[in-house]
Amino acid sequence: MTTSQIAQHGIFHGRVDAQKLGITPKQGRLVALRTRDELRAATELLDAYVVAVPAVFASAVLDVIRIAIPNIRDVNIQHLRRVVNFPFLPDHIQQTFAASAQTWPFPNDLDGAPQAGNSNPIETRYLLVSPASLIALPDLVASLVREPPFSIANIVPHVFTIPVPALAPTSAEEAQEWSEKYWSISYKNTNPYGPHPSLLERNQAGIEPYAGTWLALAEVAGGQTSSRGIGENVGCVIVQKERKEHRVIAVAGDARWRGTGDSKPCTEEPGNVMAHAVMRAIGMVARKRVRLEHSPDELTPDAAGYIACDVPLSPVEHSFFSVDNLPSTGYLCVDLDIYLTHEPCVMCSMAILHSRFRRCVFEHAVKATGGLTTSRESPSVENGLGYGISWRPAELNWKFLAWQWENE
Amino acid sequence: MEEEERKYHENFMREAIKMAELALSSDETPVGCVFVKDGAIIGRGMNETNKTLNGTRHAEFVALIQILSKHPISILQSTDLYVTVEPCVMCASALRQYGIRAVYFGCWNDRFGGTGGVLNIHEDPSVDKPYPVHGGIFREEAINLLRRFYVQENTKAPEPHNKKTRELKLLESGV
Repeated sequence: MTTSQIAQHGIFHGRVDAQKLGITPKQGRLVALRTRDELRAATELLDAYVVAVPAVFASAVLDVIRIAIPNIRDVNIQHLRRVVNFPFLPDHIQQTFAASAQTWPFPNDLDGAPQAGNSNPIETRYLLVSPASLIALPDLVASLVREPPFSIANIVPHVFTIPVPALAPTSAEEAQEWSEKYWSISYKNTNPYGPHPSLLERNQAGIEPYAGTWLALAEVAGGQTSSRGIGENVGCVIVQKERKEHRVIAVAGDARWRGTGDSKPCTEEPGNVMAHAVMRAIGMVARKRVRLEHSPDELTPDAAGYIACDVPLSPVEHSFFSVDNLPSTGYLCVDLDIYLTHEPCVMCSMAILHSRFRRCVFEHAVKATGGLTTSRESPSVENGLGYGISWRPAELNWKFLAWQWENE
Repeated sequence: MEEEERKYHENFMREAIKMAELALSSDETPVGCVFVKDGAIIGRGMNETNKTLNGTRHAEFVALIQILSKHPISILQSTDLYVTVEPCVMCASALRQYGIRAVYFGCWNDRFGGTGGVLNIHEDPSVDKPYPVHGGIFREEAINLLRRFYVQENTKAPEPHNKKTRELKLLESGV
């Protein structure tokens, strides 16, 4: 059975039968894109003071710190553990403290009997005092030395300044990595800098088994327009997934070389930009919606279809465009997912956002023009533009989940 | 800006505003534009997202479709755009890829503007040539058109918000 025969219904229940679609699903997995804020959180450090104190005085010293630095309440350092036991310090911090260990004249238990000599050294805790920006080091030392245990032991505290992550981790793995590298980190299974981990996990599990099928279909779409000489070998597929039901709403290949004015193909860069696969597919969804709202004789052909190329131009596009499988209620591309052979350019990324898509999956990243990926490097054509358009909720008026496909 | 030059730009922005007014009277977001080559308008557009049910059918795209049905794509390299509201990120990128010569706009768009309002798509690193932008031409009129629209109901949007309680606050020109 061919793609077009199957697409007559365009609705697939339960298992998607790729064989019937005439395609071989790709085998692989989804890798969620890092948001810009996640990258910033992963790279922004601040200097913080740390100090060793006898375990029994740990909370007393924290009280001293609260009084000495009243505005410590205003900074968010909840991801940094304030009181840490020696084995949970990173190796290099262990070495720093071991090299400067101070001998405290206290027993381990202040209520118990004094212990003889140094044979049983006092238990020590390691405190994260505060960000260094909140108090000058001499002022901090002066505040500490006035109070127990330093005042009664006549010891000047050894305060060290170390770099620590400024923002909370976005995953358990990251928290683990930072704990080994900087300071003990607590992770609360939330992500203020991107999609919530459980939301991401649930969505990924829901679409991962079928993503390889839709990407293979997107490849067919790109192949059909490029082999006709009207576009690049780039394609996309728009799918509505409701529980176990999959509806392929639109399929489009790139058509930038189709030409606009006459029937001659266009060869000069950049070609017809609005005929990128994403723009075409979004246009086809819109035309299907208009078709649902009007009777056929109300529909008048317009010039837009020829220039914008948001009408089908290849067999696979035709077979899915001709099916009325959109629910009659619906707005733009709300609740729809889009699968692309390539990372969409900035224009197409924003078109996806404007159309209120739910989820986006692409296979090949495109550094020079892509609008979705982020990068630790400063933006450039070589390193990537770093826009991360899918998740900038503080700046743009919609956000959607985005993954890159990794072939097995 | 020289007086004569200012008049030249205002003349075309006035034409763009007419398109935005047309959009408002057809229940579309009141954004309008004209494309100008050698002192002549070669394309006009207004937002048509409600009519087409296509969220990408912004005024710029509507005009571009009109232009490309008569002219080669390369004409855009010697063409300027006048648009009542700053181009969004999508349009800013499309214009840069098409090689637009310059963009003149009325008010900034702090929700998804692509030429200074939110992002700087016109001048950021890119494989495509950057273009200059000039904002603020008849800014108050462009804003007032939008304000008049947003006190109306957008019946196409899901679960339309009740806008009856919204007050229409207009800016005086020259502010």
